[in-house]
Amino acid sequence: MKPANRNVAARDAYGRVSPLWLFLMKYGPPRWSEYVVKNWTGQRLVIAVPYLWLLVFFLIPFLIVLKISFAEFSPLGRPPYEPVFQWLEEGALQIKLLIGSYVYLFNEPLYVSAWIYSLKVAFFSTVLCLMLGYPMAYAIARSPPTQRNVLLLLIILPFWTSFLLRVYAWVGLLKTDGLINTVLFKWLGIVDEPLAMMNTSFAVYIGIVYSYLPFMILPLYSNLEKHDNTLLEAANDLGAGPIKSFLRVTLPLSFPGIVAGSLLVFIPAVGEYVIPSLLGRTDQLMVAKLLADEFFLNRDWPKASAVAIAMLLLLVVPIMIFQRFQNKELQAAKR
Amino acid sequence: MQAAERRVDKKDKNEPWRDPNAEAYVRIENITKRFGDFVAVNNVSLKIFKGEIFCLLGGSGCGKSTLLRMMAGFENPTSGSIYLDGQDMAGVPPYERPVNMMFQSYALFPHMTVEKNIAFGLEQEKGLSRADIATRVTDILEIVKLGQFAARRPHQLSGGQRQRVALARALVKRPKLLLLDEPLGALDKKLREATQFELINIQEQLGVTFIVVTHDQEEAMTLASRIGVMNRGEIVQIGTPTEIYEFPQNKFVADFIGSVNMFEGTMIEDLPDRVRIKSDDLGGVIYVDHGISSAPGAVVYAAVRPEKINILRQPPADTSENCVKGVVKEIAYMGDVSIYLVKIDTGKVVRVTLPNVERLSDDERILWDETVWLTWHGSSPVVVTQ
Amino acid sequence: MKTEGVFSKSMLWVGLAFLYIPILSMVFFSFNNSRLVTVWDAANSPTLKWYGRLFKDDQILSAAWLSIQVAACTATGAVILGTLAGLVLSRFGPFRGRAFLQGLTTAPLVMPEVITGLSMLLLFVSLEQLFTHWFGWQFDRGFATITIAHITFTMAYVTVVVQSRLASFDDSLEEAALDLGARPAKVFFRITVPLILPAILSGWLLAFTLSWDDLVVTQFVSGPGSNTLPMVIFSRVRLGVSPVVNALATIMVLIVALGVILSAVLMRRQEQRRKREEQMAAAG
Repeated sequence: MKPANRNVAARDAYGRVSPLWLFLMKYGPPRWSEYVVKNWTGQRLVIAVPYLWLLVFFLIPFLIVLKISFAEFSPLGRPPYEPVFQWLEEGALQIKLLIGSYVYLFNEPLYVSAWIYSLKVAFFSTVLCLMLGYPMAYAIARSPPTQRNVLLLLIILPFWTSFLLRVYAWVGLLKTDGLINTVLFKWLGIVDEPLAMMNTSFAVYIGIVYSYLPFMILPLYSNLEKHDNTLLEAANDLGAGPIKSFLRVTLPLSFPGIVAGSLLVFIPAVGEYVIPSLLGRTDQLMVAKLLADEFFLNRDWPKASAVAIAMLLLLVVPIMIFQRFQNKELQAAKR
Repeated sequence: MQAAERRVDKKDKNEPWRDPNAEAYVRIENITKRFGDFVAVNNVSLKIFKGEIFCLLGGSGCGKSTLLRMMAGFENPTSGSIYLDGQDMAGVPPYERPVNMMFQSYALFPHMTVEKNIAFGLEQEKGLSRADIATRVTDILEIVKLGQFAARRPHQLSGGQRQRVALARALVKRPKLLLLDEPLGALDKKLREATQFELINIQEQLGVTFIVVTHDQEEAMTLASRIGVMNRGEIVQIGTPTEIYEFPQNKFVADFIGSVNMFEGTMIEDLPDRVRIKSDDLGGVIYVDHGISSAPGAVVYAAVRPEKINILRQPPADTSENCVKGVVKEIAYMGDVSIYLVKIDTGKVVRVTLPNVERLSDDERILWDETVWLTWHGSSPVVVTQ
Repeated sequence: MKTEGVFSKSMLWVGLAFLYIPILSMVFFSFNNSRLVTVWDAANSPTLKWYGRLFKDDQILSAAWLSIQVAACTATGAVILGTLAGLVLSRFGPFRGRAFLQGLTTAPLVMPEVITGLSMLLLFVSLEQLFTHWFGWQFDRGFATITIAHITFTMAYVTVVVQSRLASFDDSLEEAALDLGARPAKVFFRITVPLILPAILSGWLLAFTLSWDDLVVTQFVSGPGSNTLPMVIFSRVRLGVSPVVNALATIMVLIVALGVILSAVLMRRQEQRRKREEQMAAAG
């Protein structure tokens, strides 16, 4: 006969139980019923595959970076750091954690200025990108459906071409003898001498806005497109002019799109490497370049790791906000 | 009409639920389902017999869909058991149950033709040759009258056609039990009526037991051999459509099915074969020609259906009981009937339905603001105690 | 209403010009005879000289071949893992560690590449140490490490694409299949996959493009002798403009443009055919 309370324990959000497990559940030892519910083998395997991959190749590397950031730099070593964990002959485990790298990060003016500069550049690039991207997304969302598809195509096309090559294109434009100077200086004579635009902050701003514009437009567009036109009509009907209805109806409703787009630009921009390398200043570096130099040029792995950890900590909050938004969008799409 | 005749036949057929020794085909015993703190289904027990069309009727959120899904195997009960043909369904996944479901959204596979959609279920069964499958598919297409649409895809079909494909796909597997989730909800009125009778025909032809979930009373009344009214996770009353309509057991059922006029009152005479209720709601006495069981001095409710009330322009001979005076406040002309809202002296508005039997001239017809008397027969009120 | 329409429309055109002028100028100057690229040598241009040089450039060609191979393997691996992850996150009920998995799959979307690159390199170095210490193996970083690294960060994109496609999918279709007797694995392969195939395909293309184009992570995890195309391009353009790169860029832009237009046309045709069929059905 079926023991009544065992079934109560087994019926759970966990779903289906196969006949073999059911048999074991009925006639096996009492604690098995718990075990049974949690061991739906098929599902577990499917979950395990991507999970394990990400744990091994995404999460564990971060732990290793953390470990090495506390290691001692040994310039001639292969690899160039002293082991953090070491088994001594007596069977004891020696753990040597040095916070020297971190102290250096916070004190060395080169680093501090690099941090501040990176944040500043990323912030203003995001703002500029938003100021250009929002009207564009708005115009696309308001255009008739056939035009809309073509416009979206035009926005997405650059995204599929090589990022590196598109940044390279700006090298050709911004050089002293590049296209822009040719037009302004040689042909139109608007300026007295060629503008020095390469290797400036200005060039970096342009580079970031240019490269990340589609990432700003697409989330904004996908939000704006869902807006109900009748809301604006209602606002107009109640007496609000076009600017007011925009500020009080459209803008607040598009807030999730603004946040998503801004985070998609800001977070990677802080850690940008290619754009500052090709277009940026040589006297003021961004953190990514600093990390790469520390790693490849100085071979100082502990310090490079410390920079990476510090960057991670800096970006953890924005990353979590971004993920919260991602989740919300997915939940909304389910309805 | 053929369909109507068959319905009458059906009423003469055995009513297994009346036989205390009959074996129930589907036994639901003390089923409870909790989602966190929320109790969707609260200790429900049901017996459903072979060949029935059983309807679970209720508003949204009453738990009927959850109960259906538990029978199909998509949810596991928090406690309780479900037995199908004597077999305990605990832990049996949906793909191993002899139960099939017709989904509210039809859930037709968009990338397969009608034929493949229907054959899909048969392909999962062992021991069926291709020829067998093809024959059965053709047969069922004939029954649902979709023979020439076999090669079409779902988006090439109209709503009614899609519904029939969904039905065919479920029935072709010859399940012991067919579950239907709001089967007629997406169809327009005319189509709905026609399909209701077709469903009944098909069910009788194939002898499958149906359990239908719906919020539409008309659907339930037409289709069902028995209805189970649900409210807030509990079964409130089970009975044939006639029983539910004419003899509701509580206020909820009386109010839920059709319209009703409810008069609150206290009993002043309580005899085995008649009852008198003094009602302040009514401003008079209600005489009921059958006995009811209730505690002495308890508050009771007399429910009188709108179609059972007469409107008279002159007071009747006896105005002492089952009679009240009022003023016509609203008239709604519905074509086949007219609905009158009559305000009586106590302030309550009584709803009366009269069929438009004759074409009357203006002075013969009852008009707004006219003073009228409402009466009803002693057998009309149903008394409920909660 | 009119004024705001005009403002955003004009910004749209400004923005589009901003997006395309650099690309078009790059294409234009690939036909310029001058080595200085942007100084138009009217006497000898236009010319296809740089395209000729491009096809004789062994370093670029072998790097391109390596990039293609890596990208193809990456895309396939990313699609398998990403689809599984997307399926798990949108269809499976709650399980322990679900929120963590969700975080793990979407973090690579915004993680700066220097961090991902550094961390993966350190992982490979540690693994190298482990294998040498225990098994006496020596392995060099190269194709395998690059591919593994690429799969790790591109699968996030595939997961997002698949997950959002599954979220807008009526799961009663899968329930119906279960109800009709198909086991979960069969339901996945015969019902779910055919219906999300467009999402899987676009995920494949996305992963391919991201891998093909990746520079930073690749620089960290590659080994001697494994130079991908972006690495070669980068080393050349750091020193200044290079007309051969312009030629390469033009070819790539052409391929992408053709691909995008083709897919758009195909999709449009399919949409129209579907609409027509639905209208016919509704009529009778």
